[in-house]
Amino acid sequence: MSNDRYPKMYQQVNEALAEPEKSEMLLRCMKRGRDTRKVALESLPGGADFRDDVRKSKERCIDNHIELKERFIKNVKKRGVKVFEAKTGADAIKYCMDIAQKRGVKNIAKSKSLTTDEIEFNKPFIENGIEIVETDLGELIIQLVNERPFHLVFPSVHKLTPEVAEIFSKETGEKVEGNIPAIMTAVRKYLRPIFLNAEIGVTGANIGVAETGAICIETNEGNARLVSSIGSCHICIVGMEKIVETVEDAMLMVLAHPVSASGQLPTTYVTWMHGRSPLGEGEGGEPRESHIVILDNGRTEMFEDPVLRESTYCIRCGACTNVCPTFGILGGHKFGYLYPGPMGVGWTAGVHGQDHAADIAHYCVSCGLCKEYCPAKIDMPHIIAEVKYRDAQKNGYPRVNKVMMGADKAAALGSATAPLSNLALNNKPLRKIMEKTIGLSADRKLPPFARKTFMKHFHQRTSQVTDPQREVAFFVDVFANYNDPALGLAAVDALEELGCKVIVPPQEVSGYPYIAYGDMGSARKTAAANVEKLIPYVKQGIDVVAIEPTASSSLVESYPVLLRDNQDARLLADKTFELFEYLVRIEDETGKTPSSKLSEMFVSQKFGFHCACHQRPLGSGKGAMEWLRRRGAEVELIETGTCCGMGGTFGLKAGPLGYELSKKMGEKLCTMFKEAAVDAIVTESSVCSIQLAEGTGLPVYHPLQLLGAGGK
Amino acid sequence: MEYEFAECFEKLSGVAHKVDSEKAAAEKIAAICQEQDARCIALAGLPDSLVSQIEGLCSDLTVLKEPYATNELPGAIDKADLGVTGIAFAMAQSGTMVEATTNDATRLVSSLPRTHIGILHAEDIVDKYHDGAARLREVTEKNDSNLVITFISGPSRTGDIELILSLGVHGPAACHAVIIDTQN
Repeated sequence: MSNDRYPKMYQQVNEALAEPEKSEMLLRCMKRGRDTRKVALESLPGGADFRDDVRKSKERCIDNHIELKERFIKNVKKRGVKVFEAKTGADAIKYCMDIAQKRGVKNIAKSKSLTTDEIEFNKPFIENGIEIVETDLGELIIQLVNERPFHLVFPSVHKLTPEVAEIFSKETGEKVEGNIPAIMTAVRKYLRPIFLNAEIGVTGANIGVAETGAICIETNEGNARLVSSIGSCHICIVGMEKIVETVEDAMLMVLAHPVSASGQLPTTYVTWMHGRSPLGEGEGGEPRESHIVILDNGRTEMFEDPVLRESTYCIRCGACTNVCPTFGILGGHKFGYLYPGPMGVGWTAGVHGQDHAADIAHYCVSCGLCKEYCPAKIDMPHIIAEVKYRDAQKNGYPRVNKVMMGADKAAALGSATAPLSNLALNNKPLRKIMEKTIGLSADRKLPPFARKTFMKHFHQRTSQVTDPQREVAFFVDVFANYNDPALGLAAVDALEELGCKVIVPPQEVSGYPYIAYGDMGSARKTAAANVEKLIPYVKQGIDVVAIEPTASSSLVESYPVLLRDNQDARLLADKTFELFEYLVRIEDETGKTPSSKLSEMFVSQKFGFHCACHQRPLGSGKGAMEWLRRRGAEVELIETGTCCGMGGTFGLKAGPLGYELSKKMGEKLCTMFKEAAVDAIVTESSVCSIQLAEGTGLPVYHPLQLLGAGGK
Repeated sequence: MEYEFAECFEKLSGVAHKVDSEKAAAEKIAAICQEQDARCIALAGLPDSLVSQIEGLCSDLTVLKEPYATNELPGAIDKADLGVTGIAFAMAQSGTMVEATTNDATRLVSSLPRTHIGILHAEDIVDKYHDGAARLREVTEKNDSNLVITFISGPSRTGDIELILSLGVHGPAACHAVIIDTQN
């Protein structure tokens, strides 16, 4: 498996790049998901705060999962429902098959259930001559053509109207016109007898409620209502992790799921089934019964795994797939085993095995947006990094990934050997050789190295502050140190202007590439070293300010996770700030008006701001935009809501799993910038700027570069 | 509250009507039947007084009502063009009607026909979505055996083909809420 993993992934990416129409539909679907979610959040009093509630509820329920499952079972049985605890998928299928065969059943109607997809439920029934029909329209379409879901919420989004009409014409033997109303009429007519004649109805459950013994099924089409009410036997298959404690917990999940998936408050229909009800009154009909199969299938091991445990908070809303840049190009058939996209990596590792998970984990570019959109705030970037790490323990790292993880050392060397190194960077034939040997894309225009680093400049410089109001520890990372020391110095000037005495303590690089490529050992070592070096300053009440978005996010978001239970890491995170967020705050606190102004040449220009993904959990670039506006700049945020496609160093790599995919991922955003009638782009990220400059042809600046020579 | 409920419900492609009495509700139902050209209607979970008023006003239609004979189901209700069910309570913030029943025939009445009408009382509308939890628990505690509670926020919808919103793929393509408000 390991030896051919990368060639296979390259092939998959190449195939996806050759089918842009599939991705086009998927990207529209994802964008709509993000846009409608945004509108829904505006209608909620606390906006995205519900994520904290969901997180707390999930943490509590998973912590108590053993007791809650027992309470759920007790209350379900009280209502006359039979319960079966299935250790494996095969156990679950056998239990259901026995029921079907004992009852001599020929027809099963089914509503959408990812848990049944997980265990490939349908196949054995069909093999045993039992008709089992998916009644959710999207699931039905892909069942008829024997495909897997392309998207979690919209499984058949890659099928356009004419093809769907063709599928139903073939299935029904009657010509179905190629328009949606005609298809709807045909589907209703096709499915109605399937609903009415179903002997068993199989549903999943979005939630099990321990307090009341209810299961909760959410749909928009209402198909689960018919599936669960008509057949004399109802079987519900529910994952162990779906059991929550109270009605309030359940109500919260019923809201969080559609808000995140499609921007609805609850879905059109939510069915809370308690026990099995009779159908009509009087004699006749078969005895009605209900079974709940509680599926383990690896979940117990997931609960016990310190990293995968968090995956079990997943409520299957698909929000992570709506924001994942690679998912948008590859789709669920390629970026997925049975579970797709970012959530799919952890779940595949948990229920289908590490090898299958590693097959898809390397598509992740570590932009981290999935975590920002997840209603349960699941740290998918960390889970995926861990899956990459476990893979590397067995199969090692590909050379190009090792090169990218050593980018800081290369930058140190490049700086030490400048200007010679810069000649090499600009030498096409040499770059071609580098592409072949170390995998660095020859198509990327890289920023030149500076011979004299920021560190050297800074230590030869005298502070301008005579009466310091506070001290600030500056975190510089790779780019401002080795490539653009002037930028680092401008940041120091800006801090000093506000009365901050700037200290540059001994420090490592942020080490984020270690996380991105799954070298968790080195990531932890780097994190620990930085915490150790910076914490003495923090403990003296000195704030840490970082200039690179990824560096801020490493210190604030990643280190506390990498160094679990390390109080110093937590403290450092609390006291680390993004540069502009910090500058604006001090301006507000001190009431100082900016003396620095925009450079003459920029005064009448219009700027489009790009927010780097790693800023989203921090200030989302609001600080930089505000800081620029205070200096008279006309600046507007331009965003697709997802990543520019660079993915840190991912886009520097050559080939399909690097430059080529990266370019494709950035297309939409670059088009937006080009169509926005802006004169230039502003971003704080040194890597996003490479992608945006190449993709738009527009000049790209760091906010500090817009200041005039007179202003500091 | 009725106003907020109606506004949200209509955003979800539902239609809300406010009436001032049970009699007016029956008239509204009859009017909708006529509009939809319904020939056969099914009723469930309604007070006897309302059932007899509907029967009176819809004497030219086939009116199916409880008790439904088990051995004729689900076929009998599948013949109905329109179903009317009683609503236990509603949540204004999300435009959600909540149906509670101990017989699955009621669920068929609100999910098989092309049109569904829910009948609710203005005083049973709670303001916020999360206020629904207490009502839900109350209903659950009253029924310690079988019970199905259904949130209904508009007609059956799908966007599975090219993300284009289509109504009524399986269940109701039209969903009405008739709100009886005797206070104002």
